[in-house]
Amino acid sequence: MITGTFTAAIALTASVAASLLALGGPAQAADPVKLIDVIELSGPGAPAGTNWKNGVDLAVKEINAKGGILGRPIAVTHYDSQTNPGATRAAVQRAVDEDAYVVLGPIFSGPISASMQITQRAAVPQIVGGEASAFTKQGNPYIFRTSLNQADAMPKLANYLRDEVKAKSVAVVWINNDFGKGGRDAIIPELQKRGIQVAADIATESGQADFAADAIKVKNANADAVFVYLNEEESARFLRAARQQGIAKPIIGETTLLGAKVIELAGEAANGVKGHVGLLVDAPKPGFAAFGKKYQDAYGFTSDHNGIKGYTAVYTVKTITERVGKFDREAFAKTLHGARIDVAQEPGILIDTKWLENGDVDRESFLVEVTDGKPVVKATLPMINP
Amino acid sequence: MIRRFDPTLLILLVAFPILWVLPSGLKSYGLYVVSLWLVMSIAAMGLNLTLGYAGLTSLAQGAFLGIGAYATAILTTKAGWPLPAAFLASSGLSFAVGVLLGFPALRVRHHYLAFVTLAFTVVVFLIARNEQWLTGGVFGIANIPRPVLFGSDLGAALPFYRLLLCVTLVLALAMWWLLKSPWGRAFLALRENPLRAASLGVDIRAYTLLAFAIGSAYGGAAGSLYAPLVEFIDPAPFALSASFVLLLTVVAGGAGSFFGPFVGAFFSYMLPELLRATGGWYLIIYAAVVLVIVMISPTGLLGLIERWRDHRSQAKAAAARAAAAPTLGTAAGGTDSLGKGATQ
Repeated sequence: MITGTFTAAIALTASVAASLLALGGPAQAADPVKLIDVIELSGPGAPAGTNWKNGVDLAVKEINAKGGILGRPIAVTHYDSQTNPGATRAAVQRAVDEDAYVVLGPIFSGPISASMQITQRAAVPQIVGGEASAFTKQGNPYIFRTSLNQADAMPKLANYLRDEVKAKSVAVVWINNDFGKGGRDAIIPELQKRGIQVAADIATESGQADFAADAIKVKNANADAVFVYLNEEESARFLRAARQQGIAKPIIGETTLLGAKVIELAGEAANGVKGHVGLLVDAPKPGFAAFGKKYQDAYGFTSDHNGIKGYTAVYTVKTITERVGKFDREAFAKTLHGARIDVAQEPGILIDTKWLENGDVDRESFLVEVTDGKPVVKATLPMINP
Repeated sequence: MIRRFDPTLLILLVAFPILWVLPSGLKSYGLYVVSLWLVMSIAAMGLNLTLGYAGLTSLAQGAFLGIGAYATAILTTKAGWPLPAAFLASSGLSFAVGVLLGFPALRVRHHYLAFVTLAFTVVVFLIARNEQWLTGGVFGIANIPRPVLFGSDLGAALPFYRLLLCVTLVLALAMWWLLKSPWGRAFLALRENPLRAASLGVDIRAYTLLAFAIGSAYGGAAGSLYAPLVEFIDPAPFALSASFVLLLTVVAGGAGSFFGPFVGAFFSYMLPELLRATGGWYLIIYAAVVLVIVMISPTGLLGLIERWRDHRSQAKAAAARAAAAPTLGTAAGGTDSLGKGATQ
């Protein structure tokens, strides 16, 4: 008994000691600029995270081919956040320990909320892909977005529902996570302000496979339009269920609903879906088309908005660092607040973008309709404060 | 039996100063991972009591982790309680809920009990997600403070790790004492043969409830430390999958073995971080390791050592038999069975 317990203890101590050595590996201070990308490569966020990662890799390759940032090449490392706040925190902590110049990602808001204090404490800028409104409201001077805040998109969508769709009532279908709930909490007051009745308020689960019951509820609500705010895979499944139930009312959504992955997965069922999109490769901007082609050639599928976010995040790092003239994290964060990067100065930014004092972005956006399996831009909406 | 210093206690007391000093050279990431190992070891220790010693299959440990984490997060951020008070309250709350959940365990066992506790975990998850006024719903609770004890701020990674280490030691000593006490014997009797235990005067009802409640209190205590460790909680880390991982932790480490939870938590929470170096392969490697361990040693990693020891003592006994055989002559068969019996 005693021998066994001791052997066990020695084995445990040895493995813990070995792992402590591995965890405390030496920090690198080599010549390349270190960008660390903490991103959803497994778990529910994997489709979004994979697009982002590819976008980052593409931008890094291009920038390095042209001599890097201020003469230094970029070395990018990807850490899987597992779409889990605890794992994200560990990965961001590791990124800070490894002396990342800028942390890129994650996309999902829960993981962002769990990790943004670490970069703030270490004064490391973090450029994230999240759209939920909460995290730029906390006065953190090191957090920056790559896409519009969902709260900014909702008034535009409510106007569209009132003026273009002429809806008097809307059924709202949302995913019960921080992204979906945030969107739902933002759209409902905007609809009510415009005198549009919320005919049904339907919460769905993350990872839900069968949306038939929800589609039937939507159908029974008999609203003039359906507003759908779900993650990628769930959006596609809902669209299929809605078509099976014969819902013929306009289906309206925000960026995710019109994403490339959703259109691919939903197939025919995506046709006729309309909505507001912040970023898409089919937007009438030459940069987007060129990026879309490069991405398609490199990875064999169409990039969604997350690919664009990852790509532009790296170009943001490049442009702002060049403006600062040196690798200084604090100066980087200060310069990015209130900065504006135009395509004319840096084609890699793909669309003229302005950063506000809280880290939110302002840029043009698009009204899109899916026709024959392709998102077609119907109108371009201006910046809120150009 | 000769009274001597218990090896388990000795290992605990020797490991403590080593673990106090060893990680001091680590950066905050390393310290975070080691801290997470300690916290999850506490939760696994609780489940090991319920599952490994008392034989009650519970899928609720993740929920108790959540109850502890939410109670602490709410008490420290909204009510302004200090962490020690919130820790005691969270553990106490988990103990009380554990007693309530123990009642179904009086009626059902094995996979039926697993289903009851599974349902409980789902209910706790839904409350955490839907009762936004209390739990922050899907947006979670951010900026959970780390403690200030006796005027010193334990917010930095190393002091907080050392605080966790002290709490882990105290809880491990408490568990050691409990398992050595007549209660520990009663839990084992409950697992091996409840009917016989009852016939020997063990109050099955009380001990089942107690096993559940103490195991749950450890889960709550771990949750109470998890919240200030991560400084942010939302319902996701306490969903059903957390309970499955904790179950895996106890089984992989060696259910019913004192150090099993520590080995298991190392396996479940530190190994995936160590495997990050393998890039996109790390989850596949981790899953493959799980498969192999469960296949070759259903009694867990510590079970492997037990088996190796049994094997060695059997080999020794066989050698002894072989040596003894010539002198016993024709009675070789009888020696064999006797020899085998002696090694059991």
